[in-house]
Amino acid sequence: MEIERQLLSTVDQALLLLMILIIMFGMGASLTTREFGQAFARPRAFLIGFLSQFGLMPLLAFTLAILLQLPPALAIALILVGCLPGGSTSNMFAYFARGAVALSISMTAASTLLALVMMPILLDLYASGFAEQIQASLAAEDPETTFIIPTGNIIISLILVLVPVGLGMILRYFSPAWAKTAEDTAGFFGIIVILFLILSVSLRHGSLFFRTPVEIYMAAVGIGLTGFAFGYLMAKIFRLPYRHRRTISLETGIQNGPIAFAIILLSFSQPWQNEMLWLAILYSTFIVLTSSLVTLWYRRIGAYDYEVHRNEVIHQRLFGKEYHSPQPRGSWTDQLKGRSALRDKPADLLH
Amino acid sequence: MPQQRIIAPNLALLYEKAAEVFGDMPAFATRKKRDQWEPTSYQTLWDRGCSLAAGLVSLGVQARDKVGLFADNRLEWILSDYAVQIAGAADVPRGSEVTVEELRYILEHAEIKFAFVENRSLLQRFDRATEKWETKPTIILLETPPPERSEVLTLAEVEKRGAKFRDKHPHILRERIDGINPEDLFTLIYTSGTTGTPKGVMLSHANMISQLEHIPLDITWRDRILSLLPIWHIFERVFEMITLSSGACTYYSSPRRLAEDLVAVEPSFMGSAPRLWESLHHRIRKGVRQSHPVRRALFATAYWLSKHYHRNINFLRDQDLLTERPRPAWRKFQKGYAALFWFLLLPWYGFFNATVLERIRQVAGGGLKATVSGGGALPREIDEFFNNLGIAVLEGYGLTETSPVLAVRTPQKRIIGTVGPIIPETQIRIVDLDTGKVLYPDEKDSAGGRMRKGEIIVRGPQIMEGYYRNPEATKAVLQEGWFRTGDLGMVTWNDCLQVVGRCKETIVLSNGENMEPGPIEMRLRQLPGIGQCMVVGQDQRYPGLLVSPDPEELAKTIPPTLAEEEQNARMLALVKKEISPENGFKAHETPRVLRILSEPFTVGDDMTKLYKLRRHAITEKYANLIARMFADREKR
Repeated sequence: MEIERQLLSTVDQALLLLMILIIMFGMGASLTTREFGQAFARPRAFLIGFLSQFGLMPLLAFTLAILLQLPPALAIALILVGCLPGGSTSNMFAYFARGAVALSISMTAASTLLALVMMPILLDLYASGFAEQIQASLAAEDPETTFIIPTGNIIISLILVLVPVGLGMILRYFSPAWAKTAEDTAGFFGIIVILFLILSVSLRHGSLFFRTPVEIYMAAVGIGLTGFAFGYLMAKIFRLPYRHRRTISLETGIQNGPIAFAIILLSFSQPWQNEMLWLAILYSTFIVLTSSLVTLWYRRIGAYDYEVHRNEVIHQRLFGKEYHSPQPRGSWTDQLKGRSALRDKPADLLH
Repeated sequence: MPQQRIIAPNLALLYEKAAEVFGDMPAFATRKKRDQWEPTSYQTLWDRGCSLAAGLVSLGVQARDKVGLFADNRLEWILSDYAVQIAGAADVPRGSEVTVEELRYILEHAEIKFAFVENRSLLQRFDRATEKWETKPTIILLETPPPERSEVLTLAEVEKRGAKFRDKHPHILRERIDGINPEDLFTLIYTSGTTGTPKGVMLSHANMISQLEHIPLDITWRDRILSLLPIWHIFERVFEMITLSSGACTYYSSPRRLAEDLVAVEPSFMGSAPRLWESLHHRIRKGVRQSHPVRRALFATAYWLSKHYHRNINFLRDQDLLTERPRPAWRKFQKGYAALFWFLLLPWYGFFNATVLERIRQVAGGGLKATVSGGGALPREIDEFFNNLGIAVLEGYGLTETSPVLAVRTPQKRIIGTVGPIIPETQIRIVDLDTGKVLYPDEKDSAGGRMRKGEIIVRGPQIMEGYYRNPEATKAVLQEGWFRTGDLGMVTWNDCLQVVGRCKETIVLSNGENMEPGPIEMRLRQLPGIGQCMVVGQDQRYPGLLVSPDPEELAKTIPPTLAEEEQNARMLALVKKEISPENGFKAHETPRVLRILSEPFTVGDDMTKLYKLRRHAITEKYANLIARMFADREKR
């Protein structure tokens, strides 16, 4: 796979950066400082989520890169995707997957902040080997050029995208109504960005879709899917409640794509930038599809558990905090539980 | 659809079994403050019901006696019902809006010797109804009685008395419960009478149990049901019985607090009347109108996408209203088309549904899985609006005489414009109004008799035993198990029932043309300023319209400073524009005269509590006005 011209024109790049700013602003508009503190309200779930996001996901990316024998630049891109903090769309998916939205939001908030520290460490840990490979091949041709992971630039890019997040939070503080509008608009832009990128790439490099080797597709789709699967497994091993499992699963698989674009555009130079960008674009495209499908699936299998939980929450709200919601006695419950997963038709997301 | 419900041969046994299986789970919740409700468990309900029942027995209530139950929705209502059922008796329920005359008639006709009465105001009416009687019924007041009325018992007293009585006669309740036959009455409901004097509808345990067995609603013990409609109506009552037999919890609300309670309780199911959806529709529309242009545009986009998405998906699933014989080849072609559109709309719809529509749905609490609308026809426009919004409004059809459900839309067969398929074990026929010939089912007809309009007649386990002590009235509607509903309907191509009007409502003009006022009124109710309206014109050359105004809204379209005549004329112009051939009405259906009434219709006098027009009462009340209205135009 050779990308002979620049993947995105300069104008497109500028537009993309603008959209990233809008998206990050919208993300900030969905947050208050309380959400950061909320993380400590459920330390266990939060810690497991953290492990899953910054422990599991980069490791998965690294393993996939090795298994699929990706070229070094793409391997670095995949690891970069794996090290990203959670995306704000995961909150919406968690909501429709009958997950714990508050947990999702606080995980997104905290991981975005923690990324400043974690990303450089993780990239150094997993990606430096691939960087040396590039360096080695470069040195063979021309000893003058060098390739290292631009840690400083990455931190600067991260800080840059965090500025609009902070501005969004300020908006939220002063006008929750407008913040809501900003949040929705940003959500919409999230989709537009992907369409825009796909369109602009296919206009400039129509055949790129066919020339991309299958391993790269596998990597782009696989990183999300394995994230979902292992995130769920991790939460299951630690015996978190079902809705926390669904939340952590989605939170692990769904990464903040726009941050990846920003970092790649601002920190990496050609010719690597093209390839890395292409992988990030593919990831962002497929993650929308896979997470929609996974959400529909979770919604289906989670119906029973969610209804029980929701009932308990409302009971406690109306009947007092001490109220403990009983369940039907004896065989009746077992019978229902046995049937529920198969029988309880979910109230369809797409009614 | 497999149901997760308890079934028992009668209601008393059902209550007992519910206590066994659901025990400490909340059965009912009553509101103390906005976010402070009090639960009552299945076990408590059963225990208290038993004490109360023993109390009734100790007072002298015999098996199969009729016990009055005059109260609105509240915990004590269901407690009293428990007691009556466990004592092997039947209750005669009416709400607090009952008039002195109706009360007197019911007490006399049903030979009521014991009655639960809700409060002091109802007690006064009760006194007036029985003032000339020598032996008066024993009264058990649900609230605290005035101190001077020492003969009036309270619920607590009877309960205490019953507890003692039960200690002495431990087997008395068992005997009563075992003595209940399936065909014994569990209730005797006097209909508020859209036509003539009240008739007592006799409903048996078997009637109600058959409903619990066959109503295809997926209510489980995890559900929360908001109770809103008057409980003495069979529609709300069957809902509470389904709730009880499923182990779910009923939360008592009222129309006044509805908006608040929807948010607090987040109901997952509820029984509702068209009026509720009309007002919610109004509120949502108003909210959208007043919002920021960006939001309005977002909503418009979302609604447009949703509408077309649903239109295509319904077509693909054969869930569209099939009023014409389907042509398979053509349909297959159309389906290809629909599939393409569906696919193109899917991602956009998915996004807007998740962000914009989900927020609008919060108006209804956000947790609503489905709701059944009954007790009147739901305007098509509103029906579509909510279903497009993603709130599954399932319209059902039935009468008090049919316990009540005959047909209801199910999630699998949710065809808008119909009241869904007939429920299991129930047979339906459509008969010709004049000849009585069976139009549906008809084996000789290539369509099997579908799409032929006639009176709906039904037979099934839910049909009443008859009208109490009124064999003539019973015979007029019930022959060989077939019950005449008095409703006009037809069966669509996908075997759903469409109710198109009331036979008795049908207005016959002097030129012999028939017209159904229902659809016209339904459409006109959407006009600003028209709260309610009624089409009149029996034996006239053209129809006329009485408008019960919504003064605030009316003032916005027609200045109240204008002369009365001018106001009427302006309104008539609006009405004529609406009821036009362009909108699917026939030319002779357009009202040509109109009067805006000085006072809106009131619940009780002009409308039933479910906002059904009491046509005969309105026609009588405004007889002079109607006559003058037609005469004035003739003069000109």
